[in-house]
Amino acid sequence: MSKSSNAYNAGIMQKTGKAFADEYFSEDNQVVHESHEVVLVLKKSDELNTVVEEILLGSHKADNPTLVVEDRAGFWWLKATGKIEIDCTEVSELLGKHYSVYDLLVDVSSTIGRAYTLGETFTITSELMGLDVKLKDLAAA
Amino acid sequence: MAISAATKAATDALAANPAPVSVGAQEVHRWMQSFTWDFDKNRTKYSTKYKMANDTKEQFKLIAKEYARMESVKDERQFGSLQDVLTRVDAANRVHPKWNESMKVISNFLEVGEYNAIAATGMLWDSATAPEQKNGYLGQVLDEIRHTNQCGYINYYFAKQGQDAAGHNDARRTRAIGPLWKGMKRVFSDGFISGDAVECSINLQLVGEACFTNPLIVAVTEWASANGDEMTPTVFLSIETDELRHMANGYQTVVSIANDEAASKYLNTDLNNAFWTQQKYFTPVLGMMFEYGSHFKVEPWVKTWNRWVYEDWGGIWIGRLGKYGVESPRSLRDAKKDAYWAHHDLFLIAYALWPTGFFRLSLPTPEEAEWYEANYPGWYDMYGKVYDEWRARGCEDPSSGFLPIQWFIENNHPIYIDRVSQVPFCPSYCKGESTLRVLEFNGKKHSFSDQWGERMWLSEPERYECQNIFEQYEGRELSEVIAEGFGLRSDGKTLISQPHTNKDGKLWTLDDIKKINCVFSDPLKAL
Repeated sequence: MSKSSNAYNAGIMQKTGKAFADEYFSEDNQVVHESHEVVLVLKKSDELNTVVEEILLGSHKADNPTLVVEDRAGFWWLKATGKIEIDCTEVSELLGKHYSVYDLLVDVSSTIGRAYTLGETFTITSELMGLDVKLKDLAAA
Repeated sequence: MAISAATKAATDALAANPAPVSVGAQEVHRWMQSFTWDFDKNRTKYSTKYKMANDTKEQFKLIAKEYARMESVKDERQFGSLQDVLTRVDAANRVHPKWNESMKVISNFLEVGEYNAIAATGMLWDSATAPEQKNGYLGQVLDEIRHTNQCGYINYYFAKQGQDAAGHNDARRTRAIGPLWKGMKRVFSDGFISGDAVECSINLQLVGEACFTNPLIVAVTEWASANGDEMTPTVFLSIETDELRHMANGYQTVVSIANDEAASKYLNTDLNNAFWTQQKYFTPVLGMMFEYGSHFKVEPWVKTWNRWVYEDWGGIWIGRLGKYGVESPRSLRDAKKDAYWAHHDLFLIAYALWPTGFFRLSLPTPEEAEWYEANYPGWYDMYGKVYDEWRARGCEDPSSGFLPIQWFIENNHPIYIDRVSQVPFCPSYCKGESTLRVLEFNGKKHSFSDQWGERMWLSEPERYECQNIFEQYEGRELSEVIAEGFGLRSDGKTLISQPHTNKDGKLWTLDDIKKINCVFSDPLKAL
């Protein structure tokens, strides 16, 4: 089991019975607390399994040490602090076929955070896109 | 020959914004955004008190060609899996019978939500002025049509390929008598399509989709897989691949009004009302379906809720918007209490009213009772001992002459319906956040279970006039009502709903119900 604070069953979720209830109902937990994490749900598929195993947990593992990936039966559940980025030109090279950012979106099931595309890159970030940071268009040729 | 004014305008526009030399989707997207329209005379069914900015962006930069290609690939994968391997391995008959019943509720109810979301996002298209924002809403209209078909299809698949089709194939005709239908229509219909357009967006996109689709459409697939159901993950995870754009639409709706003065006055109240409206139904119903409608448990529902609703939606969506004046919903404390207890309260009532449903329910086994007590200390003393009594009185056996609703009557625990959410509650026997409040308006009494619904009702009482089943069928005998409300299987005598999922158990018929002579009465008349 992952010990990261971003794990599926981190923190209070490791507690059971009365211990869980005590923390769940504690005064501090009666309002929301700002979080800089992001969550990504990826539907399992031939391509997305490659993205997870070969890129996020492979060649790019060192890029974001806060990233946690968990197998939840039909989907991969990912949580990280700050952002998660997937470059589809890199996925294309790995798969040996054209694979655009829209091909990726076929199997991206859910996002908690601000997700967007720019060119062939998919990003989910804790930044407030459109408020704190402007959403960019592809630069004119 | 002189060219027309329109042709000249188009020629001039192309000169100023040369067409892209490639067909790269995002290059085309950027180019298309330079063409805009005059929306001064926008017409929409319901206007909004907010002013939506006209420079709002769409986060995924979709154009019709890429959208259509993407969605067709999703459908090919989904229908290919269902019609090929899942049929070949007889997947529908490998589902645990208890979970098969849960999917009657989940997929039928989601279908109604998706259908209403078509109208909701159409209304938002009418309300917005930013071309990219309109583009996002338009994609969502098309998505919702797809989702309506998908939900209909999964019911069809379960009915055709699986076990006990009744309820998968004809649920909606029971909508007058089923006590869960009207509450579902409050969240999935009225909340999405009636009222201020931005408030509808907050209900649908910022709360319904960004918050509750994660347990309803994502976490549900964990429960499905654990209970032998591989059809639901195939369809629901494909539905959810569109929901991320809907969540972004909801967020961009908030972005579009963030600098409007009206936001500082109204946004937190609208958010709190939407949060309470959605949670009041989803929290107990989903918890009940997951825990009481499964054999193999993934985790306590309160943990699922704590992760997806409180920590992640609350912290990552709402918490991050704090610097723009968005506050933690004031009803959160009560919602958390509901997430711990309200599904247990609801199952007690749902089981007591089982003959009016369109799905089969079963009492917790001794092993399940242990699991409940370990995860919800105090469960047995409140609920478990009641189920033991009902079981001892033969509630599953048609010859027993016992319906659990009799226990509520014998023990003077009247069941009311909350006028705003339409969710049934028993104020004298519950642990969730429910207390009885009664108000009169135009000579009619109205019951409420909480301060948040009561406040919404006080601001527009004429909005919540839906009759509940106790008012509608006052004085009528139960078997008559079931027959009139299409609660029977195709043999014309056996009830669709049953108080057990044992395939060898005896099934209740209309005659069994008639012998008990149970008559509807409106508890508000006794006050």
